[in-house]
Amino acid sequence: MMRLPRFRCAVVCAVLLLAGCASGSGGSIYAPAGGRPQAPEPPLTDGVAKPADEPQVWRKSEQPAEDKTQQQTAVPGYRESGDQMPAAAAGLVKEADALMAQGDGAAAITRLERAQRIAPRSAAVYFKLSEAYVMTGQFGSAEQFTLKGLSLAGRDERLQRSGWLLLADIRRARGNVAGAQQAESRAAQL
Amino acid sequence: MKNTDKTRKPSRTKTAPRKRRAAAQSRRKSFWRIFLRLALLGLVLLAGWMVYLDALVTSRFEGRRFEVPSRVYARPLELYSGAPVSAAALEQELTLAGFHKGDGSRSGSYQRSGGRFLISSRGFDFPDGKEPRRHLALSIAGDQVQNLKVVKGPDSAIVRLEPAQIGGIYPAHQEDRVLVQLDKLPELLPAALMAVEDRSFYNHHGIAPLSIARAMLANIRAGGIVQGGSTLTQQLVKNFFLTREQTLLRKGNEALMSLLLELHYSKSDILETYLNEVYLGQAGTRSIHGFGLASQFYFAEALEDLLPHQLALLVGMVKGPSYYNPRRHPQRATDRRNLVLDQMQQAGLLGEADAQRARSLPLGVSDKASFSQNRYPAYIDLVRRHLARDYKEEDLRSEGLRVFTTLNPAMQVAAEKAVIETLPRLGDKALESALVVTAKDSGEVLALVGGRDPRYAGFNRALDASRQIGSLVKPFVYLAALSQPQHYTLITPLQDTRFTLKFENGTVWQPKNYDGLERGQVPLHQALSKSYNLPVVRVGLDIGLAEVKSTLQAFGARPAISDYPSMLLGAVAMTPVDVAQIFQGLATSGFNTPLRTIREVTDAGGEPLSRYSLQVNQVADPAAVHLLQYAMQETMQEGTGRSAYNTVPRALGLAGKTGTTDDGRDAWFAGFSGDLLAVVWVGRDDNGATSLTGASGALPVWSKFMAQVPQNSFTPVVPDGVQYHWVNVQQQALTDKQCENARLMPFITGSEPAQTITCAGALPQKIRGWFEGLFQ
Repeated sequence: MMRLPRFRCAVVCAVLLLAGCASGSGGSIYAPAGGRPQAPEPPLTDGVAKPADEPQVWRKSEQPAEDKTQQQTAVPGYRESGDQMPAAAAGLVKEADALMAQGDGAAAITRLERAQRIAPRSAAVYFKLSEAYVMTGQFGSAEQFTLKGLSLAGRDERLQRSGWLLLADIRRARGNVAGAQQAESRAAQL
Repeated sequence: MKNTDKTRKPSRTKTAPRKRRAAAQSRRKSFWRIFLRLALLGLVLLAGWMVYLDALVTSRFEGRRFEVPSRVYARPLELYSGAPVSAAALEQELTLAGFHKGDGSRSGSYQRSGGRFLISSRGFDFPDGKEPRRHLALSIAGDQVQNLKVVKGPDSAIVRLEPAQIGGIYPAHQEDRVLVQLDKLPELLPAALMAVEDRSFYNHHGIAPLSIARAMLANIRAGGIVQGGSTLTQQLVKNFFLTREQTLLRKGNEALMSLLLELHYSKSDILETYLNEVYLGQAGTRSIHGFGLASQFYFAEALEDLLPHQLALLVGMVKGPSYYNPRRHPQRATDRRNLVLDQMQQAGLLGEADAQRARSLPLGVSDKASFSQNRYPAYIDLVRRHLARDYKEEDLRSEGLRVFTTLNPAMQVAAEKAVIETLPRLGDKALESALVVTAKDSGEVLALVGGRDPRYAGFNRALDASRQIGSLVKPFVYLAALSQPQHYTLITPLQDTRFTLKFENGTVWQPKNYDGLERGQVPLHQALSKSYNLPVVRVGLDIGLAEVKSTLQAFGARPAISDYPSMLLGAVAMTPVDVAQIFQGLATSGFNTPLRTIREVTDAGGEPLSRYSLQVNQVADPAAVHLLQYAMQETMQEGTGRSAYNTVPRALGLAGKTGTTDDGRDAWFAGFSGDLLAVVWVGRDDNGATSLTGASGALPVWSKFMAQVPQNSFTPVVPDGVQYHWVNVQQQALTDKQCENARLMPFITGSEPAQTITCAGALPQKIRGWFEGLFQ
């Protein structure tokens, strides 16, 4: 059986955890309830500065605040990378690491699912889940979680590379050599 | 003949005494014979009866298989710095989980002052490990947990509170109980019980003749029944095996069975069974058995945490749970409790000062039953349907399973409020509604409302109302198109003009826009955000119905989808839960995530039986989905969903789609934020016409829900292979961001417009700059 040592993921994911913490947009997109709805208020003018405690999000579409032609209404938002992992989720990932070190992949998955509920937009959590599924021999799930992680890696090349390499390992383990090579070449392009 | 008779008479008189004696002797003999035979028969019968009773007693007691209902729990609240929860929601959650207001240091109590909380958790055996008891201090600001500190207990950055019990799956006889073990009980409980009910429990053999005599004497003196002489064993037998009728035969059976029970089993076995069996109250149709559940039912606390005055009340209630019901007859219950406290003092279980203090305390009963059986009927309905896939109904009703669901009580409250408060404002009293809320990235069903009266356990529209989805289908048509970047981008101009389709059988179909207008050419993103009908049919016919159908199916659409082009306008029937399932993939960049209501099921002892893990399955190119998400965000900002921001804070980024069917029979809204996906349906059960649209009927419910819940904005991560460009949509060209009609839009790499125009016209900026420089 394909055992974990043949995978780069253990190392890769250790890096990922750090990468996950270091990456992210650096801002919060949290909107507390009970904020005043927009409609009754006068429209914001370009000169109005956001309050200091309001979440600042790097959204390209909101960047050119000085642009007089920009529409007054908000525009669709996006960002370049997923969330940072909050300390609580990172703690659970650490517990999962310890469980995996003891060979208990199933217990690690329960910790990681808790972490995923706290940090559902963190690529690193999904890569970790992938690692745990590799451990339990469920390569199909492992591949899917890697793909999910990659969809959240955004422009973070380190995360991207780690994800593609992980995917290459998993695909090779599943006998998908062409898919593995494709993933490796994606990693190499970064 | 006469003579003969006469002559015979004397001889008869002579022989008569002898004969009578002989006859008497023979009668006596036969009497004894019959008596002996009867006695023997009686003995045999008695022996047989004893054997029968013995078998009954041992078989019932041996297995000692109480039918314990399955308990259904909400998801536990996880507290950590940054956890999204408002102070009000936290307090609500604590109440639901059976916490009571107090000093925050006694187990199961909390103290709140403004946004600051002190919480003393009871600890809980979760399937993945034990959560210890802790004293916590935290504050809530901006709807987030801050400064979480473990004051007492093992330190941790994340703490799970015990989950609220949201329901149970009960045996047919509706008995409910929480099993307790003798060695884990407060010692005072059995001691108090014996002091009051059976002082010689450890010395008798099942019956206590002296007690019976004493009771009889007391009853004769009082001229009625004032005292019972039944031992705990007899009471258990009565509860366990016999009916409540008061006949001599039953009394006899009771005595015999008590003797047999004592013969076979130890005192502690009998006592433990008694503590779990005794009837202690009624909650609707559900009967409360045993001290474990009674403690939760009357005090909302674990038995091990009860104080002497609370234990005394429960012990006192054994005599008559209905007569001494502390909620209905508090004075009667207080008198009885104090009597028990007196007896406990006499028996040396309490010192005088302690007893005195206990007598002076209020009953300490919780305001209402700690949970009601039918609080969330629609949600429990879905849980039961999921359980039915893997478990037998009889096991669910009797094996004491623990079912850990994904229900989020705060979301459920918000969802119910949204439906209850919005529906009456829509005018039509016959309108019904359903609301499904899921966690966007995990597929966990967080809340479910099955009708305008969420407490009513009837027709569950969220699961069973299969209705046409109208324009909710459009995102899937456009997704199928955007997956072909060589043919379609967000700015591809589409014809918004009428056309007629003629089928082979001669029928004709002429789709129309909702407002009946035609707009000539509209870009794809606008055709979706404004939900125009004519362009979507054209696009659907262009890429092929099969392609649209397979897209819908890849996203988890289960119902049969028709092969007629009317399918492109949503002539597909789905339930709100089905819709939530297919939108899950749109909300998560093309990853289908099966909806789940259950995380784990364990047996009564906490051993895991099944886990329902998170699964993801990529069914679409994240790049194409990202483009679609752009248009679905635009729907909320400029399109049919924009009135959401009359209710929802502008800071909350959203994406969604309205849906309306012919004559307003169905009003739909499906949309998502960064964390949540919610689907609302509003319509009539008789499928009648209404004056509503998705925007005027379903969106108000959806917005009302979203506005109550603190959450993250929807700001999707740009996937690999997507780039944003400033474009002039009308001119189909790249442009500068400062130009008047410039719009920043995502394109799958390589599909962006090839030509560039400037603000002034078609000349590139470089050349214009050169010209401008020339004339300056």
